[in-house]
Amino acid sequence: MSHHLRRAVAATGLAAILVTTGCTSAVSRQDDAGGGPSRGGTLHIVQGADVQPATLMSQNNPNFSLDRLVFNFLIQYDHKTLAPQPELATSWQVSPDGKSYTFTLRRGVTFHDGRALTAADVIADLKIIQRPEVASQVKGIAKQIATMTARGDDQVVITFKTALSNVFDLFLMMPIIDPATADQLFTGKKFNGTGPFVVQKYTPGQGFQLARNPKYWQKDRPYLDGVDISVVRDSQSMLSSLKSGQSQLALDLAPLDASTVKNDPAYQLVESDAHDSVSYVGYNVTVPLLSDKKVRQAISYAIDRDRILSQVLGGLGTTTSLPWAPSSPAYDESKRTFYRYDVAKATSMLRQAGATGKSVNVYYDSGFGPNNGLAEIIQFDLAAAGLKPQLQPLQASDFLSRLRSGGFDGMFLTGHGFGQLNPATLLGGAFPFNFAKNASSFDNPQYQTLAQKVWFAGGKPDPAALGEVNDFLLDQQFVSDLVTGSHTFAISSRLKGLSWTMLDYLDLDDAYLSQ
Amino acid sequence: MVRYVLRRLPSAVIVLFLASIAIFLLLRLSSGDPASVLAGPDAGADTVAAIRAGLGLDRPLPVQYLIWLRGILTGDLGDSYILHAPIAQLIGDSLVNTLELATGAILLAIAGGSVLGYLMATVRSRTVQNLLGAVTALGVAVPTYVTGVLLVLVFAVTYRVLPSGGVGPGLSDFQIGVQYLLMPAIALSLPTGATIARFLAASMRQTLDQDFIQAGVAKGLRHRRLMAAHVVPNALPPVTTVLGIQIGQLLGGAIIVETIFAWPGVGQLLLQAVTGRDYLLTQDLLLIAVAVFVVVQIVTDVVDAAIDPRIRLERA
Repeated sequence: MSHHLRRAVAATGLAAILVTTGCTSAVSRQDDAGGGPSRGGTLHIVQGADVQPATLMSQNNPNFSLDRLVFNFLIQYDHKTLAPQPELATSWQVSPDGKSYTFTLRRGVTFHDGRALTAADVIADLKIIQRPEVASQVKGIAKQIATMTARGDDQVVITFKTALSNVFDLFLMMPIIDPATADQLFTGKKFNGTGPFVVQKYTPGQGFQLARNPKYWQKDRPYLDGVDISVVRDSQSMLSSLKSGQSQLALDLAPLDASTVKNDPAYQLVESDAHDSVSYVGYNVTVPLLSDKKVRQAISYAIDRDRILSQVLGGLGTTTSLPWAPSSPAYDESKRTFYRYDVAKATSMLRQAGATGKSVNVYYDSGFGPNNGLAEIIQFDLAAAGLKPQLQPLQASDFLSRLRSGGFDGMFLTGHGFGQLNPATLLGGAFPFNFAKNASSFDNPQYQTLAQKVWFAGGKPDPAALGEVNDFLLDQQFVSDLVTGSHTFAISSRLKGLSWTMLDYLDLDDAYLSQ
Repeated sequence: MVRYVLRRLPSAVIVLFLASIAIFLLLRLSSGDPASVLAGPDAGADTVAAIRAGLGLDRPLPVQYLIWLRGILTGDLGDSYILHAPIAQLIGDSLVNTLELATGAILLAIAGGSVLGYLMATVRSRTVQNLLGAVTALGVAVPTYVTGVLLVLVFAVTYRVLPSGGVGPGLSDFQIGVQYLLMPAIALSLPTGATIARFLAASMRQTLDQDFIQAGVAKGLRHRRLMAAHVVPNALPPVTTVLGIQIGQLLGGAIIVETIFAWPGVGQLLLQAVTGRDYLLTQDLLLIAVAVFVVVQIVTDVVDAAIDPRIRLERA
C-alpha cells in the first residue's frame, strides 16, 4: 500500500470516529434531557403503532399512551375492587331505583386552551359518544340514557331508561374532551383536554411531543416537563431503543422480546394488573362442521394452552377457559382450567361427532407477531386430534373487516379485552361476546336472556347469574379463550412512579426520571 | 427533439390513465377498508357504515374514481383517511427522509466501494487480497436486515455511541442529524459498496493488463499519474453502469432499513398505507411511482436519441 493511500485510509477512519464519538452525541443529548431525580426531564416512549385519534372515545391499544396523558375521565377504578374513584368528578350519588346518577365535578379544572370545564361539556361528550360514526365499546350504555341535565356548572344528572349494572364503565372509558373541537380531535388536528400534558406537535405516523400542562388541576403535577411518543413499528427496534437509552418506556413489546428484559436489573417488565389481553379462537357457528358444540368443545380440549403460554407468549400470562380477569366479579378460579389439554378426549369427541378428517380454515392477522406462532401450535394440535386445519393468514384490515361481517368460513384466532370490567360490558360491548351480534354469528335466545340478566341489573351483578353465564360459555364454546395476558410496560430503571388505569391507559401524573 | 418528446406524450398519458384504473380497482377489489381500521376493533356494523359514508366510500366506484381523478388533475391529492393529513405533505416529508437516507447510502457506497476496489486491484499481498475479497463477498451476501440489527446491537445497545433509530433533527442540526443517519446509511450502503468494490477491482485489473498501460509504465510514468489519468478513468464505465442498477435495488432495500431504524421514509408510508387500506394515500403513492417510471423512460429515450443519431432517425 502506498504512503498516500495509507494516509487517506487513516484520515477516513479518523473522520468516522470523530463523527461518531468526538462531537456532540445524539445519545448523550437524550440522556442529558433525562433531568433530575424528581422534577423535569422528558420521557421518551416507543410504541408499535400510531395513535388513532378517530377511536379516542373507545379503548384501542395504540391510544393507550395518549388517552390519560392529554385527557381526564370522570372516574377511575380501584384495581382490586373496581370501586369508582374520583378524578374529574369528586363525588356521585345513585338514585334508589338505580336509574339516576348525579356527578359533582371538580372545581378549577380547565381545558388546555384555558376554558373552564362545565357540566355542559360532560353532557355534550355523552351526546358525541352516542353519534353513529363515533366508535366506542360503551356506546350501548350511552344509548340507554333517557335524560341529561346540568345543575349549574358543577353538577350533571344522568338518568337511564332502566337500571344497568355497568354504568360506571361508561364514565371510566369516556375521556372528557372539549366538545367544540371534537371533530378536529378525531382527525388529529386539535387535542384540547384537561390532562397533565399538552400536545405540542403531532406528526401523523411518527408520534407526539407533549409538554407539561402548567395549569393541571392536580397541584405540583406532573413532575415531567414533557413526553415524546415515537412510533417504532418493529418490536426488536423498540427493544433496541430501550436498551440503547434512547427511550425509557416501550409499550407492548412482542412477548418474546419482553421476556428478554425480565432478568435484566437495568430494566423492568411491568405487567398490567388489568390482565385484559386475552388470546382466543372463535368459530363461525353457521359453518356446518362448527355448528356442533361438541366439535367446538373438542377443539378447546385439543389446544395445548400451556405450550402457547410458554413458547409464544414468553410465560407472560395464565391459561384460561373463560374471558374474565381476576378483578372481574365473574372470575371463577375453579372454572379457569375447565379445558385442559387432552388430545385423547378431543380425538374421541371429534370421532363421535363425525368430524375426524374434516378440513377447517383458521384465519388470523399475520401482522401481529405472536399470532403466527399461535397459529402454528393450533395447526399442530388440531391435526393431532384428527382435523385437517388450513392456516389462512390475513392483513389486519382484511381480518377486521371479515371479523365484523362474520366473513370467516371456519375458525379465527385473535384477542379481546374487557374481562377486567363489569361483566355486562364484555357481554354487550366486546364484539366476540356481544349478545346482540357477535363475531361468531352466535345468535342464541338463551345467551341473550342470560346476558341481559347481567346487563339490566342495578347495583352489583348477581353471582348466580354470572355463574350461569360462565357455565353457558364453557358449554357452548362459540369462543374458546386460551391465555389471559397483560399489556406490558418495559421500562428503564430510571423511570419511577409509573401507573396506569384499569383500561391500561398510561398515568404519568406521579412519574419522574431518576438520575 | 421537442417534437420527439411531444410525440411520446400521448402514450405516456394513456399509460398513466390505465395505471390509475388498475391501481384503483386492485385496491377496491382487495378485502378490508379504511372504515374498518378507523372504527377500531369492537365497533358495530352501524358505526362502520357511518364512517364509510363520512369518507364517501358508499358512493358508486366510478364516482369515487372520478373524484380522485379530478383531485389529481387539479393538483389536490386529498387527505389521508387514516393519518388525516394532506397527502402532498405526507409524501413530501417522507420523500425528503428517503432521499436523505438514499443519498447518504450512495455517497458511502461510492466512497467505501472505490477505496476497497482500488485496494483490491493494487495491493499485491495475497493475504490482504483474500481479506478484502472476503469482506466484499460478505457485504454482498449479508442482507441489510442482518447488518442493520448488528449495527444497532454494537453501536447503539452495547457502546451507546449512536442512536438506535429515528430521523433526528435532520439538516437543521447537522452534527446530530448525521449521527442518526450513519447506521441506516451504512446498512443500506453495504451491498452496493461491496458490489462497486468488486466491479471496480475486476475492471481495474483488466485495464492494468492492457498494452497501453504497460507502455505507460515502460515510458516511466509515475504510478500516481498512471492510475489517476489512465487506469481509473478506463475502468470506470462498467462500474457506473452497475451503480445505476444498484441504486434501484438500494431504494428497494430502503423499506427494510426504514423499518429497522424507524426511519419515516416513503417505504414506511407506503407500508402503512397498504396495511391500513388508506385508499387515497396508496393510490397517490403508486400513481406517483408509475409517473416517475414513465418520466424516466422518456428521459432515457431522449438521452439515447441525443447520443445516437441512428435511434433518432429510426424513430422519426
